[in-house]
Amino acid sequence: MQKRNKYTEIEDFLSDESFQSWILSKVDKDGWEEWTLESRQRAKLVEDARLFLLAMQVADSNLSASDIHNALQTTWIKIEEKENQNNSIQDSKIKFLRKYFLSGVAAALIFGLVSVWFYQNQVSPKSNVVTYKELIDENAEGLVEQTNNSNKPQIITLSDGSSVLLQPNSKLSYPKIFTGNERKVYLSGEGFFEISKNPKKPFFVYANEIVTKVVGTSFRVKAYSDQPDVEVLVRTGKVRVKSNDLVSKSNQEEVILLPNQALRFLRSDLSFNKITNITQDETLTRSVGNIEQLSFEFTDIPVSQIFQTIEQAYLIDIDYPKNKLKDCHLTTSLSDQPLTEKLKIVCNSIGNNTSFEMNGNQIIIISEGCN
Amino acid sequence: MKTKTLQFKTFDDITLWNNLKDGDEKSFSTLFEKYYADLVSYGNSLSPYAEKVQDCVQDVFTDIWVYRNGLQSSVVVKAYLLSSVRKRIARLYERDHIFRKTTSTDAIAFLLEFSVEHDLIDDDYATKEKVVHLNKLLNDLPARQKEALYLRYHQGLTVEQIAEMLDVNYQSASNLLHRGLLTLRKEWKGSISLIVVLSLIGC
Repeated sequence: MQKRNKYTEIEDFLSDESFQSWILSKVDKDGWEEWTLESRQRAKLVEDARLFLLAMQVADSNLSASDIHNALQTTWIKIEEKENQNNSIQDSKIKFLRKYFLSGVAAALIFGLVSVWFYQNQVSPKSNVVTYKELIDENAEGLVEQTNNSNKPQIITLSDGSSVLLQPNSKLSYPKIFTGNERKVYLSGEGFFEISKNPKKPFFVYANEIVTKVVGTSFRVKAYSDQPDVEVLVRTGKVRVKSNDLVSKSNQEEVILLPNQALRFLRSDLSFNKITNITQDETLTRSVGNIEQLSFEFTDIPVSQIFQTIEQAYLIDIDYPKNKLKDCHLTTSLSDQPLTEKLKIVCNSIGNNTSFEMNGNQIIIISEGCN
Repeated sequence: MKTKTLQFKTFDDITLWNNLKDGDEKSFSTLFEKYYADLVSYGNSLSPYAEKVQDCVQDVFTDIWVYRNGLQSSVVVKAYLLSSVRKRIARLYERDHIFRKTTSTDAIAFLLEFSVEHDLIDDDYATKEKVVHLNKLLNDLPARQKEALYLRYHQGLTVEQIAEMLDVNYQSASNLLHRGLLTLRKEWKGSISLIVVLSLIGC
């Protein structure tokens, strides 16, 4: 702080961070007040600098924390799109090469492939129906299986923070810890997925004959082995669905679903049926679960009510210090997050080192009240 | 209770930046959350189309992540971000024919108004009077001088960084700042003495 003794111009003060915080935030760490009073000439200079700073304020952008959060989500989606675009440019370069330099080879190859295909089809006419059991056998390495035999939905939290609300009579197999560049889970029955965002490790749900690929979003997959169709319904974000390589080797049949769109896959003829307006599809609207009806957009809402909404959505119990939190209100958007993320955001927003513990269906909030 | 920005472990910018380069998403998100609002308000000072500004800022971050392998490892993160936002918006002006009137970075007008925080000086009427007056003088400065002052004293950039951003040499940037403050001081001193004279006559 010796350098300020040499200050002779307003500019010197204006760019001094410690001076700025004294004037603008009234934090006088370095004893500016006292220092100013030491000399009359100095006081005049300081006063001028103070007025300049006060006149040079800029209105804050009125973005709330949830605006910023949403912007961040949008940016991750943009990133995913750009990365895909870059990949497909590379793909088309390769195609270009093939077309002009390797067309002869390609023709021979295609002929070969076609013969192999004919041969395979003749020798082993393979059934098109893929079941959960086959999928699991294909990928047996160290999966954990969770079955919901109860009569109400059950919450599963995966190692990456994603949550799955598993419906009764459904099974989910997943690795204890996700490794490698992909996150793969296997579903039989019905589940509502909320996936934590990670464009580097896409998330795949294998369910009967279809594969659903996402980066971070929420959606429902319904794939009971004894039903004629498989359904995917999207709530937030973007989802890609294609048929499993086990039933068709072609990559072309990939459907992109946006929020409130759904897809029905007919198992008998492997056809995709996209439903762009889910409200007009009776079977879909009838089966909408609790979590999909509840709104997670909160504007100045008591914390108790937010906890209640989360309890209803995930069918869990949240235990929190009711008295300490009775006057806390929050404004936040939790629509796009898995359960643990939601809890983390609420705890962080309450502040005061609020934290949570999770034991199965029981959540305990530890808090000393809000700021 | 107002919603707070979530607090993360406070790493300095350059650590976050280099983690980001290595593919760390947390660091990316932290930088995003730290600077987004600030960049949007700077962007808004360059373009009246608020929607597009947010888009531009998001695109800047998108490119940072997608092309993170090519990023330099020693940068002043804030200066880099501000400068990228400025270039993005300039490009938008070039490309989009709604904005066809202007075609280069230096033609973008700096629209930001400096404002006076009311509650800060409510108690002191004389100060308020002076600040409001100074504020008007500031807002009447040529756009580029205003922008230079904003970058220097509000965003805390160095003169070198401002020169680079505005695409001028060091001397010109320094002149912009100097001339801005000089005009201000001259006009201000002038009007102060005028007030003094007037009040003397009044007696």
